[in-house]
Amino acid sequence: MTVLSLIESLKLDVHNGGDGNRSVSRGVVGDLLSFVMGGAPEGAAWVTLQTHVNLAAVAVLKEIPLVILASGRTPDPELLDRCKKENIALATAAGSPFEICGALHDLGLKG
Amino acid sequence: MDSHYEVEFTVRGDDFLAAGEASNQIKETLIMLGVPSAISRRASVITYEAEMNLVIHSGGGTLRAVITPEKLTIQATDRGPGIPDLHLAMREGFSTAPDRVREMGFGAGMGLPNIKRNSDNLEIESEVGKGTTLTATILFHEGPGDRR
Repeated sequence: MTVLSLIESLKLDVHNGGDGNRSVSRGVVGDLLSFVMGGAPEGAAWVTLQTHVNLAAVAVLKEIPLVILASGRTPDPELLDRCKKENIALATAAGSPFEICGALHDLGLKG
Repeated sequence: MDSHYEVEFTVRGDDFLAAGEASNQIKETLIMLGVPSAISRRASVITYEAEMNLVIHSGGGTLRAVITPEKLTIQATDRGPGIPDLHLAMREGFSTAPDRVREMGFGAGMGLPNIKRNSDNLEIESEVGKGTTLTATILFHEGPGDRR
């Protein structure tokens, strides 16, 4: 599915829309940056509780099109700026990481 | 392409705002040179982890990438505190990162293991009080100009 359709399906609060047409077929969840760096599949949506600017560098290098901040977390201003610059979609979900991953799984995303 | 292409970046210690920029520029260089994406993805893991080690542990240093038709070499050099026990440093989960860095999701003891997993060859020379040079190599099975 696309970034845009995923955002709509999960009713995410969008901070930056990024490239809504990019494809998302996989997912990754984690707050350890090296875990995501080492193991995120290509084109994955990333669910995390971190909110700082360094998420953007990982997203760029791992070609992650969408970062979902779980449990209603708000992005640091520097993260939002960097996501805009790098065209990475950034959105907040009210649900916990567990709930978001469950919803992504129901949408057909694999790990 | 030329038979030898080299880029070098200065990485500042403790600069978490700029962290990742050198890796990003190296990735863009590899894409520009037509290096296959499977290789540039491995290279990104290596450069990012090496760059973060420079930011977190060594007070900064240089990150260099050398591309020849046979291989990609990534070298991180610093004049930081050095690694007293390399064997221990390579162990998954071992970290000397301070708490404030761990709270950001760094310092999980996965950096060097990530580098090793994505390298065809990894050499680390380190002397306590003098610094560390990490050299990671990825071999091209095809020429880097051969796009998949």
